[in-house]
Amino acid sequence: MSSNELVLETRDLGYSYAPGRFAIRHLSLGLFRGEILGLLGRNGAGKTTTIRLLTTLLPPTEGTAIVLGQDIRTGGRALRAHLGVVLQSESLDFVTVERNLTLYAFLWGVPREVAKARAEEMIDLFELEQARRRKPWALSGGERRRFQVARELMHDMEILFLDEPTVGLDAISRRRILAYLRRRARGGLSIVFTTHIMHEADTLCDRIAVVHKGKLLALCTAEELKHQHGGAREVSIAFSAPLPTDLRAQLAADLARQGATLRAPEADSDPLAGQISFRVERAEEILPWVSHWAQVHSLEIDRMAIEEATLEGAFLGMIGETGEEENLEPEGPTSIAGALTRASGGGLP
Amino acid sequence: MKLPPVFRLVVRNFASNLDPLTVVIRFGQPAITIVVLGTMFSGIVASSLTDGLPYTAFLVPGMVAFQMITGGVVSGNLFWLDRRWSMTEQIFSGPFLRAEYLGGLVLTTLLFSLVGVGIMMLVGLPFIGVAALSPLGVLTVLLTVGLGSIFFAGLLITLGTRLRSANAYFTIQSFLQLFVIFLSTVYYPITSSTPKVLASIFYFNPLTYAADTIRDAFAGRFGTADVLGIGVLGALAAIGFGAAIWGFRTLDLGPIQ
Repeated sequence: MSSNELVLETRDLGYSYAPGRFAIRHLSLGLFRGEILGLLGRNGAGKTTTIRLLTTLLPPTEGTAIVLGQDIRTGGRALRAHLGVVLQSESLDFVTVERNLTLYAFLWGVPREVAKARAEEMIDLFELEQARRRKPWALSGGERRRFQVARELMHDMEILFLDEPTVGLDAISRRRILAYLRRRARGGLSIVFTTHIMHEADTLCDRIAVVHKGKLLALCTAEELKHQHGGAREVSIAFSAPLPTDLRAQLAADLARQGATLRAPEADSDPLAGQISFRVERAEEILPWVSHWAQVHSLEIDRMAIEEATLEGAFLGMIGETGEEENLEPEGPTSIAGALTRASGGGLP
Repeated sequence: MKLPPVFRLVVRNFASNLDPLTVVIRFGQPAITIVVLGTMFSGIVASSLTDGLPYTAFLVPGMVAFQMITGGVVSGNLFWLDRRWSMTEQIFSGPFLRAEYLGGLVLTTLLFSLVGVGIMMLVGLPFIGVAALSPLGVLTVLLTVGLGSIFFAGLLITLGTRLRSANAYFTIQSFLQLFVIFLSTVYYPITSSTPKVLASIFYFNPLTYAADTIRDAFAGRFGTADVLGIGVLGALAAIGFGAAIWGFRTLDLGPIQ
């Protein structure tokens, strides 16, 4: 469970790779101790740039970021000593998986005995036993990714940045890694996590930041995101008797006025069945209206169901399915108060 | 006890990137050159052309000087491979300064070159006899190879910071290596019959200064030309190292091929 201690705070953080061209701009967000923050966005949205800025690999061109009480511009090595980073690009040394783990621990100054014990733990946890004596290039894509995450966990850290750590992993490996990350977060490790797998972000992350074209669009819980941006969802209603043709037509017209489109009956559907379905925004709000409409027309409803809102639906709803939004132009900064306030009700500590 | 970061990086450089085959080839190639080329040319090249020495004895100091190229290439390749396999970025995201990483590379170069010097001297011993290298001579050899190594490491690291393709890097590296060796006095002396243009080009090559200075050290001669040679190498080492620092400060860590 995350605490109220802010371990990372950015204010209007930005990076310009050419005059007037920003990879990220006006980024204001916070990360609490023990929190898992998901960074979601399309390819090129600015997620990796954000991680590179926060880990001091890139110098920001505007704004500020305080990580573990240190400015990222001046924190340097002292700051990085408390961070763990799994970058998107695979990195490896030309030795066996086991030696890679202990060598990396050596680089970080982890005592030899601790490193050996930890390497065993990581090999077991990340299912690398078969790969232990192989060189990294002889591993499968999934093994390589597991190895990358395992290697970074060889040293102690306060914040872990993971840039798409589960790419290419099978469902079981993914679940195993996510469960481990969740356990580490409970132990106080703060995690910044990017992924394109929405379900993963939904189940793992305490809060989600949606970044699009270098701009922070939202920072809230997955539930809030789904509620606010869930988009049109399918509503299915089963009447106790078939709908007469004239009533069906009237329902279609009334639904259209509510912004919903009645789906045409399937060609092979049972003509006696009184089932209808339609898609509509704010599906929960239309159910009382449908109940009322049925009462007025002396119809009995057997069952009503709303398709569950998904994070993917909310994400697509936010950035548009085509992603063809307006270009990022200098706008007012994202509200820092909103960006730093946690959905759980906690404010700035 | 934790080793200082730069030494941890050196240990990692040796442990991770220098596989036994690479090491054997890097040291084996010049050693075989001494034995085979030396033996074969000793019967062909008149000793009057090689300072009165058999060709092998002339070649050994050249191969000792050659170690500065070996060391430089090792360092350049280490950096290139780290960059290619994203280890540079990974190390920079850890508790290291860029200067320490560069320092680690240079130290790796120096260790590699100096080990190479020792091996070449051992291989050359049967041909040159127990050389009466004075302490000054030993110091001259180590200083010369050390400075030359820093120059070539700096040059290749700088190249590695600028290029984005392995093909380009290794092509340029091979080209440089080949021409630096052949346009120097490593294999042959400059004599009165050497074309003037070629002789001038030889003197633009730091390896010429290194080979000549080491030859003088082996012969127990130490004159103004050697001081000048070490001075030139020192200046070039400073330039090469400075260029590598500049390359690191402006390094784009983005993907390369």
